[in-house]
Amino acid sequence: MWPNIVVVLLIVALPFLIAVYTSFLSVDQYTLRQWVGAPWVGFENYVEALAGSNVLSVSALGSLGISVAFSVLTTLIITPIGILAALTVNTSFRGRALLRSLYLVPYVIPTFVTALLWRMMFLPNTGLLNRALSAIGLADVNTYWLVGAKSFWAMTITEVWAVWAFIYIMVLAGLQSIPIEQYEVAELDGANSWQKLTRVVLPQLRGLIYLALLLSTLFHFNNFTLPFVMFGTPPPAAVTVLPLNIYLTSFNLFDFSLGSAMSVITLIIMLVPGFFYLRMLRLGEVTSR
Amino acid sequence: MRRDPREPLPPPVRIGAIIGFVLAITLPIAFMLLLSVTPDPEIGSGGLIPSHWAFDNYVKMWSTVNLGRGLANSLVICGISSAVAVAFAVGAAYVLSRFDFRGRFPYLYSLIALQSVPHVMLLLPLFVLFSSIQTAIPFRLIGTYQGPVITYLTFALPLATWLMVSYLSSIPVELEEAALVDGATRVQALRKVVVPLAQPGMVVALVFSFLVGWNDVLFASVLTSPDTRTLAVELQTFSAAQQGGSLPLYGQMMGASVVSALPVVILYMVFQRYLIGGLTAGGVKG
Repeated sequence: MWPNIVVVLLIVALPFLIAVYTSFLSVDQYTLRQWVGAPWVGFENYVEALAGSNVLSVSALGSLGISVAFSVLTTLIITPIGILAALTVNTSFRGRALLRSLYLVPYVIPTFVTALLWRMMFLPNTGLLNRALSAIGLADVNTYWLVGAKSFWAMTITEVWAVWAFIYIMVLAGLQSIPIEQYEVAELDGANSWQKLTRVVLPQLRGLIYLALLLSTLFHFNNFTLPFVMFGTPPPAAVTVLPLNIYLTSFNLFDFSLGSAMSVITLIIMLVPGFFYLRMLRLGEVTSR
Repeated sequence: MRRDPREPLPPPVRIGAIIGFVLAITLPIAFMLLLSVTPDPEIGSGGLIPSHWAFDNYVKMWSTVNLGRGLANSLVICGISSAVAVAFAVGAAYVLSRFDFRGRFPYLYSLIALQSVPHVMLLLPLFVLFSSIQTAIPFRLIGTYQGPVITYLTFALPLATWLMVSYLSSIPVELEEAALVDGATRVQALRKVVVPLAQPGMVVALVFSFLVGWNDVLFASVLTSPDTRTLAVELQTFSAAQQGGSLPLYGQMMGASVVSALPVVILYMVFQRYLIGGLTAGGVKG
């Protein structure tokens, strides 16, 4: 118990205070060793983070926009996909167990492998996706997905492929808890498939789906590994999400203070969905005995 | 045969959806496997089926990517951090699930809140902290095993504790009470009664704690040196090196990717029954 509390305090509270303090200083690779004595610059880093653009030509504000667009878009796309997938394996049939296992495979593949795999999928002239799109006449086989504005879509498509199972798992658990009698009653009342889905099933899953939406947005906002591994350094401006911007500012440009200011901004933004998440959790149900 | 009343989709829609899902999942994976046995010069030449199966990609990659070292480093770092995390988590979770005390709920909430702390927010302060500790006392953290181990504990510990709390809450308290009545001490009851019963939960906590480190690129790329690089960073560095090269070694890169993903996928398939609940507990997809 006590080791746990100490570790939590030491590992989260202390770094947070350091981040706040560093964000008011000017720390680079030369002053890092004596960072406590680095010159005090006040809110200069915050001004630079929000207004200025660095070598990547993306300001923190620009990255924030990309991150929000990416996480909201991904969540909106995977929600119907996840619900549909859960509906296909809700009732038993031959091969259902196998199908359920298969549905999990993209989700459990490590993100750095997913990133490399989809980099190959999008490769001009070679990638399977480019071949497929050109075969049905939608795009040229030499489409450059990995540079320029299209890279945002490459990143989003990859993320959708990798994470839809998150919604699927949560919805499937919810579906399994709806008693069969409710369906039978609905059937007696003459409901068809669509009415059963929209009047019986989905209303009961509403709370669960809201929670899944919130969590999914939260997780994807923090996505770093996918764009970092998929696009290399420096990444196209269109995929420079906030975590990636912080990383590059700190460890490629060695502007640790600007990176800290961006980190603090990130945390403040994350407090909003985080607060709603904690409100939605009903801890009593999980731990009450 | 009468249709199951729970079936909400008309059969054609369902079969169509299933075929769509199966293709969308298997085709990219099949493409990865195909590329991994394609000779490097042929990738990018336009043909899909290689002239011969280059199974030697799986042999050559061990020397070009330094996979062996990455694999060993990943096993050591993730093994230590997950074992320590689960050991602490069982104790903490036992107290949290069996005793009511002031601050219990704030503590439980903080476990959840820690799952949603942006990892990147911790990266810089941790780096600054580690480098000043290194300057102050002769205990190296950056570029060693202990740096990443401590970092992964940050995330593995609350995750493992939370998973154990939900598991221990499902074990009836009467079993320990019986042991206590028979004269066992609390610690004995924990060791002889609770821990054996909690083993499936501990497997789940161990697997997810292990994956925290295995899937991480963010911290490992900053806190490791070339000698202590984890598998993920080894692969990321290799792929970055292919960008400017004259002949990218994509075949070997895909082979190495298959080898990195396979243990994780097999682990899930074997323990699927236990793991499914933990998949949504957070932090799994970095």
